[in-house]
Amino acid sequence: MTPASPISRRSFRVSAAGLLAGALAFTAACSGSAADDKKGGSSSGTLKIGLTIPLTGVYAALGPDLQNGFQTYLDQHGGKLGGHKVELVITDEGDGPQTSVPSVTKLIKQDKVTAVVGLSNAATVAANVDLVNDNKVPMIGAVGRPGEIKRQDYVWHTSYLSEEPGVAAAPYIKEAVQGPVYAIGPDYQGGYDQLRGFTETFDKLGGKLANPDGKTKWTPFPATNNFQPYFNEIKNSGAKAVYTFYAGTAAVNFVKQYKQSDIKDIPLYAAGFLTEGAVLGAEGDAAKGVFTSLNYTPTLDIPANRSFVSAYQAKYNALPTMMSATMYDAAAVLDKAIAAAGDKVTPETVNAQIANTGKVDSPRGPWEFNTKSHAPVQKWYLREVKQDGTALSNVMVRELGTLG
Amino acid sequence: MGWFDDNFIPALDGVAYGLLLFVVAAGLTLAFGSGGVLNLAHGTLYAFAAYTATEVADGSWPGLALAVLAGIAAGAAGGGVLAVMTAPIAGRGHMAQAMLTFGVALVGGDLLMTVFGKDDPQVSVPSALEKPVSILGHNYPGYRLAFIGVAIALGVVGWYVLARTRIGAAVRASVDDPEMLAAGGISPARVRSGVLIAAGALAGLAGGLGAPIIGPSTSVANTVLLQSLLVVVIGGLGSVGGALLAAILVGEVQTLGVTLMPDFAPYLMYATMAVMLIARTARFGPTGSRV
Repeated sequence: MTPASPISRRSFRVSAAGLLAGALAFTAACSGSAADDKKGGSSSGTLKIGLTIPLTGVYAALGPDLQNGFQTYLDQHGGKLGGHKVELVITDEGDGPQTSVPSVTKLIKQDKVTAVVGLSNAATVAANVDLVNDNKVPMIGAVGRPGEIKRQDYVWHTSYLSEEPGVAAAPYIKEAVQGPVYAIGPDYQGGYDQLRGFTETFDKLGGKLANPDGKTKWTPFPATNNFQPYFNEIKNSGAKAVYTFYAGTAAVNFVKQYKQSDIKDIPLYAAGFLTEGAVLGAEGDAAKGVFTSLNYTPTLDIPANRSFVSAYQAKYNALPTMMSATMYDAAAVLDKAIAAAGDKVTPETVNAQIANTGKVDSPRGPWEFNTKSHAPVQKWYLREVKQDGTALSNVMVRELGTLG
Repeated sequence: MGWFDDNFIPALDGVAYGLLLFVVAAGLTLAFGSGGVLNLAHGTLYAFAAYTATEVADGSWPGLALAVLAGIAAGAAGGGVLAVMTAPIAGRGHMAQAMLTFGVALVGGDLLMTVFGKDDPQVSVPSALEKPVSILGHNYPGYRLAFIGVAIALGVVGWYVLARTRIGAAVRASVDDPEMLAAGGISPARVRSGVLIAAGALAGLAGGLGAPIIGPSTSVANTVLLQSLLVVVIGGLGSVGGALLAAILVGEVQTLGVTLMPDFAPYLMYATMAVMLIARTARFGPTGSRV
C-alpha cells in the first residue's frame, strides 16, 4: 500500500538507538556475570565467542532460536569448545547494518572474540564482510547469506545459499504438480534470490509458470498485508500449484489468508521460512498441508537429530528450528577448529582450521563446507506442516537431493 | 457475469477495507469538522487500540468482545488526552494543533514500540471466524465478512445519532454556529472535548475491530493516518457521507486496482486523490468544502 514515510523510519531509529543502549547494558551485565562464574579456571584458557543476533527489530523473534541452538551445543559439551572454556558475548544485530556493524566492531575491537557467530540477515553479513576480513576474525553466519561475497576468506555459513530452497524443490514440484505453477514473492533482494532459484530450475526442466506474463509476481515489501487481490489473480490463472517465499508477519498473513480464499485447495509450496519457527505458531491450523523445502526438519529420524531435539526440548520446551540447528552446527565447527588449532588459538589459526573441518555430524545429517562458497554441501528435505503430538511441526516428507 | 465473477472477491474485499477506513476516517473528519482539530495522531490512536486489542484477545468470543471494548477505551482515553492537550491552543488555528498532534504521534509511536515491543503481534480471533465463508461460489475470510456486517450496522447507528438525536444536533451545531450553540446553553468547549473523545473512540473501535485486517505494527499508525487523510480529503473535510463514499473508493482502488491494473497499483490511490481534488475545485471552488 503505502511506503513507510521518513517519519516512521526516523522514529524507528530513535527507539532503535534506545533499545540498542539497553541491549548493550544487558550484554555488559551478561558478560559481567559470566566473568564472575570463572571459579578457579585459569582465565587465559577461556575464549570469548561473540554472538550477533537480532534482539530487536523485525527478526527479533528469531533471536532465541539462534542463541538456544548454540547454547544447546555448549551444554552438551560442558561449556567448552575445543577444550577451552567459552564465554559468550551477545550483541544486537537489530534490523540491519546500522545496528550490526557497531555490534560486530565492539566484539572484535573491545572483546577480542575468537569468532563472530549468528547474523540472521544477509544485509548484515554483507555489511560486515570487510570488517572481519580486515581484522582476520572468522564470521560464521547461521541464516541469510548474500548472493555474492567478494572477500570470502573469513566468512562462513552453516545455513545455505538463498536460491537453494527453490532449486531443491523445483524438480519435485514439476513431477508432483504436472501443470502450471504460479510464482509469487516479496519485492526485495531476498525474494528475488529465493524465487529465482525456483523459477530458473523449473524452467530448465520444462515447467511452465501460471503467471499470465510468464514472470514471477512481486508484491510490494514490506507494505503488502492484504493478499486477496493476488489470490484472485492466481485463481483466474488456472494454476495447479503455488510457489512462494515469505517470512515473518508477511508469511503469517499470506498463509492465513490463503486458507480462507478461493485458492485454499490449490497446493502451496514454499521455501522453508514460510512455516519456520515462531511464524508457524502464529499461523496455527491454517499452515496444515503447506509443503516447504529446507535443509532441516526437527522430525528427521537420525541419532544426531534425536539427541539434539530431546536436549533442546528438555531445556526450552519448544521444538528447535532450522536456525537452532545451524547455530548448533556453528558451535560444532568451532569446537573442531579450536581443538585443531592446538596451543596457538587465535582468530586467524581458528579460521585456517575451519577450512579443514571436514564432515560435520549435524542434526540435519552430515555435511561439509563447499570450498568456494564456504556454505554447506548438504541434503535438502521436503516437509509438510502436520500435527506432531500437541504441536504443529514441519514433518519430513522426503529427501530432495544434495546441493551446495 | 464473467467479469463480475472473476473480480467479485477483490470487489468485496475493497468494501471491507473501505468500511474499516471509513470508521477511522469518520473519527478524523468528526474531530476536524466539529472539534476543529486536524488530528495527526489519529493513526497512533488506531495503533494503540490495535495493540491493546491484540493483548486482550485470546481467541474466544468473550475475548473478542473484550478486545473491541478495550480498543474503544484505549482510543477514547487517547482522544481525552488530546482534548486536554489541544484545549489551550484551540484558538491558534489548525497549524498549531496539527504540529502538536504530529508531535504526539511521534512520541506515541515510540511509546507503543517500547510498551508493546517491535514485533508485529498477531491477534487471535475465535476459530469460527477464521474459516472461509462461501459466498456466490467464492471463498472469503469469515472475519472480514462479519466485519462488513458490523461496520454497516455501525454506520446506520452513527447516521441516526448524528441526524436524529439531540447530541447529534449539538455536534452539527458546533460546526455550523458555535456561538448560537453557546447561546442555547451548551458549552462549545464541552462539545469539543466530547467530540475529540468520540473521535478517539472511533479510531479505537476501528483498531479493535480492524486488528485482524490491518494488524498492529510499527508502521500501521502512519499507514492508517495517511489513508484516512486521503479518505477525508477525497470525501470533503467534515462530511461523513462523503467520507463513506471516499473510503469505499480508496478500498476498491487498493484491491480491485491491484487486480485490474497491477503495474499502476502503487500510484492509483494518489492519482485518484489528485483527480478528485481537481474535480472538486472545479465544482465547488478552491476551498472545496461543503460541511
